[in-house]
Amino acid sequence: MKEVDSIVGNEGNRLMLSMRELSRVYRTDTVETTALDGIFLDVADGEFVAIMGPSGCGKSTLLNVIGMLDSPSSGSYVFNGTEVAGLTESKLADFRKRNIGFIFQSFNLVDELTVRENIELALLYHNVPAAERRARVDEVMDKVGIAHRAKHRPSQLSGGQQQRVAVARALVASPKLILADEPTGNLDTAHGEEVMKMLQALNAEGSTIVMVTHSPSHADYAGRVVNMLDGRILVEHRRAA
Amino acid sequence: MWRNYVTVGIRALAKSRTYAFINIFGLAMGMTACLMILLYVRYELSYDRWIPGSDRIHQVQSWYKSQETGQEAQLQMTPYISGKSIRDSFPQIESEVYVSNNNPVFSRDGQATSTEDYLWVDGNFLDVVPLPMVRGDASALGQVNSAVLTQSEARRRFGTDDVIGQTMTLITRGVARDFRITGILQDLPRNSHFRINSLIRIDYPAYLGDTPDVLTCWGCQNGWVYVKLRPGADAGAIEAGLPAWEDRAIPDETAGEARFNAGDDQDWHIVNLEDVHLGRAQGGAMSPGNDRTTIITFAIVALLILGMAVVNFTNLATARASQRAREVALRKALGATRRQLVMQFVGESIIVAVVAMLIALALLELLVPPFASFLEADLQVAYLGADGIGLPVLGLVLVVGILGGLYPAFFLSRFEPASVLKANKSSSETPGTGRLRSALVVAQFAVSIGLIICTAIIYGQTVYARTVDPGFRRDHILQVDELSRYQLLDKGEMLAERMRRVPGVEAAGLTTIGVATDNQNNTGVMVPGRPDPVTIGIYQVDEGFLGAMGMELVAGRWFDAARPMDDMTLPYPPEPASQRALAARGGNIVINELAARRLGFEDPARAVGRTFRAGLIQNELGLVPVTVIGVVRDARFRSVRQPMDPIMFQNTNTGHSNIIVRFNGDPAQVRAGIERVWKGVTTEVPFEAEFSDGIMAELYEAEDARAQTFAAFAMLAIVVACLGLFGLAAFTAERRTKEIGIRKVLGARTRDIVRLLAWQFSKPIIVANLIAWPVAWWMMRDWLNNFDARIDLGPAPFVLAGLIALAIAIGTIATHAIRVARANPIHALRYE
Ligand SMILES: Nc1ncnc2c1ncn2[C@@H]1O[C@H](COP(=O)(O)OP(=O)(O)OP(=O)(O)O)[C@@H](O)[C@H]1O
Ligand SMILES: [Mg+2]
Repeated sequence: MKEVDSIVGNEGNRLMLSMRELSRVYRTDTVETTALDGIFLDVADGEFVAIMGPSGCGKSTLLNVIGMLDSPSSGSYVFNGTEVAGLTESKLADFRKRNIGFIFQSFNLVDELTVRENIELALLYHNVPAAERRARVDEVMDKVGIAHRAKHRPSQLSGGQQQRVAVARALVASPKLILADEPTGNLDTAHGEEVMKMLQALNAEGSTIVMVTHSPSHADYAGRVVNMLDGRILVEHRRAA
Repeated sequence: MWRNYVTVGIRALAKSRTYAFINIFGLAMGMTACLMILLYVRYELSYDRWIPGSDRIHQVQSWYKSQETGQEAQLQMTPYISGKSIRDSFPQIESEVYVSNNNPVFSRDGQATSTEDYLWVDGNFLDVVPLPMVRGDASALGQVNSAVLTQSEARRRFGTDDVIGQTMTLITRGVARDFRITGILQDLPRNSHFRINSLIRIDYPAYLGDTPDVLTCWGCQNGWVYVKLRPGADAGAIEAGLPAWEDRAIPDETAGEARFNAGDDQDWHIVNLEDVHLGRAQGGAMSPGNDRTTIITFAIVALLILGMAVVNFTNLATARASQRAREVALRKALGATRRQLVMQFVGESIIVAVVAMLIALALLELLVPPFASFLEADLQVAYLGADGIGLPVLGLVLVVGILGGLYPAFFLSRFEPASVLKANKSSSETPGTGRLRSALVVAQFAVSIGLIICTAIIYGQTVYARTVDPGFRRDHILQVDELSRYQLLDKGEMLAERMRRVPGVEAAGLTTIGVATDNQNNTGVMVPGRPDPVTIGIYQVDEGFLGAMGMELVAGRWFDAARPMDDMTLPYPPEPASQRALAARGGNIVINELAARRLGFEDPARAVGRTFRAGLIQNELGLVPVTVIGVVRDARFRSVRQPMDPIMFQNTNTGHSNIIVRFNGDPAQVRAGIERVWKGVTTEVPFEAEFSDGIMAELYEAEDARAQTFAAFAMLAIVVACLGLFGLAAFTAERRTKEIGIRKVLGARTRDIVRLLAWQFSKPIIVANLIAWPVAWWMMRDWLNNFDARIDLGPAPFVLAGLIALAIAIGTIATHAIRVARANPIHALRYE
């Protein structure tokens, strides 16, 4: 344990998040599943972390806890200097919207809204004036190269394009941390690479990214890879800088 | 095949219980409402149809329209002479009879009791209206001084209905007369405009020997005339011939220098017996009628409720369609034709309709008895036969089933199997159905809001009717009736004087007009410089009336017993000499403000001291000069439906019909004391007295019952609409879980989501308001115009209805919204 602790995330930067002995147990009537089992994890500002591991090992659960969509059963989770474990639901929502952007494997775009409106959704709950919202949506649409599709519905786009919209939506509120759960899982190789390049570029511009992936080649884009098994972090290795 | 459909249909219902409950229960409510109203409408239409040959029997009616003020009154009554004249002028008429209601006193073994619905007839009534008989036959009233009683009246009076040949003694106009009982009528069912306990044949001209004017008076509507047409005769031809007959038959009359014709203000109509109850003319009716508008309104409301239930059905079915898209696609892939699918879904909706109908029938059995007694209607639930509801029930099931199932069926069967099976876009919807649903929800709520508005306004008006300032002090009044009996002709003053001494009595006064007394008596008043007489009500009172009634003097003075000119008492029976003397002498009158205005004085004070000439005695003896000594505030003695009367009060010592007693003591004790006084003066006239609250309640009883029925149906409509909204909210919440999950991930708080959903459901309601308001305003303005005294049509009920609908809608969807908004988004987003 100690050993793990010592090698975990320090690139010399400020810590963005740090988990100590964090567990997440799912209880149903009959079974008790320990999805996360005593996790120690630090992520520093500006890191690009990839999480890997077999199906069911707890990657998504970890990401959800990091993203405050889920709360740990025990242990400590400090985000940006604040202890998050045990905060109320509305506090978490507040924290989440100010700090975190999400990208999902299944894109999770709202079918009834256009591309532009989908992206704008991320600013709706931030009290951003309409004009500024417009400007920022335009900016991120340019950035991910989807501007020409602004008025289209998600159903009219290819998978790669949809994921680019999802990335744009994750970016638009300028979150401190971007979480991506298998962002390339539903994409073919070419589109997958495209999205990974985009994430890499974002990281280069200073975004902190935590990404779950099954693809070792995509994990290579990350600066650090965390391997998980049965709810625990196995080993980590950092790519040579 | 069908078995498979039924299984699938029932499982589809069982799978989503909320949906099934809303559909079945909503439809059941709609169906119950429809069936109840159907029973009621059928009942109202059945009036007098049971009388054999009813299509040939007609009532002659006088419809009154004042040329002076334009005021209208359609009366079921008509003058005695008009019946005779019409009979003689139209050979198509086989027989005619005149009927009047004098409520004689029934006397047996020295005991006098009052009677109700004892009708004088001047011919063989049973010849014209062949009422079914238990004993005797249609010739029972062939002789003068014969009488028939209904079975239950005979039992009440004699303890048995075996009374043929017995003598019945009735006291009328102070004289005890004997009648031979010659027949027993079956008790009349309630669905008749006739109210009869006894029919008594008298020699009418002889009976009215001391007031023969009544027999030739064309302006006195004192009774009812029924005619029976010869077989095959056309009533329309008679109706068309009546205007010409009027011109021929009605002579001009003169009163002083004024010439007039009773036909000027009156039109005669013959109305089939079956149409009397719901006819236009409801004045002077033997029993309270109903109006077609009320019945049509009820029918429309019932259909609206059913329509709303069907809309729920359609809405929820299309909303849930996507859930069954897979089944449809599979069936199609396996070779089902579109027609088979349509059949399947219509079949399913018929199953739902059948289940709903079973519940509706149970509800019907439960609700009809109280509903019937509430509306005082004789409603019975029978399934078979001509009056049975079997056929309508079947029809309703089919119509509802097909109507409710057809659209969803076509909609569902249109799915393209390939795209459904491949795309697996189970949560997204076919475009367009959302808009249709919104439109239907808007329509439902527009109806509900409209009904809430109408209910509020009707309720407000009902309350207003009973509480509006009548212009006199309506509380603490005991109104004594039966003073117009012959025996009491000159006893009024004595009675009033003795009643004033009863402990707890403040004042007592004699009158011919009181709280909701339906007596109406108008005369012409000549205004100098105007050729035509002004019509003013004329009522006899005594000096005590003003104080007892609690009326207000606005100018001049009230009658004073010490001033001879104030007293205009004339002897009864009328004698020309004293009438001429009065015409020569003149007298003083008190009028009300409206009369002052009609006579040309906006300022009541200026009317005081003026003299007019009024028709107070027999026309040929001339007009009587009357001098206004005082003006009282306008008072409303009748229902608020009726316009205010212009009134002229005349002070007399005799000839009153009521004693108004104002009291401050314990009502029961006062009443007992008053009754003792009465019994001390007469035992021949029964004591009849009522407190003003009771009179008012009776006056508006039918109106209140209708208002309450309307309110109940409105509530039902709202419940059905809310059920639908509830279902839609549940469905929408479910369908939007993913979107809501995304919003939450992006930072929306629970309350943002709740607000979002609340707004989504508020929008249609706001639109519904915009539709409902003008329509309700327009309908209620029309309705309120039926009342002379009415509430203002302010914005309050409209805003209130809108807010209520909004509150109900938000309340309905709140639980769903909160549940969905609270849910952890990762569940929603986990599997897509
Ligand atoms: N809501 C839940 N209730 C009960 N058990 C759950 C729940 N969510 C996840 N689990 C269990 O927790 C464990 C971790 O699940 P998680 O989704 O984190 O796995 P994963 O590593 O993301 O797998 P995959 O690569 O397939 O996405 C699994 O055993 C899963 O069955
Ligand atoms: Mg996962």
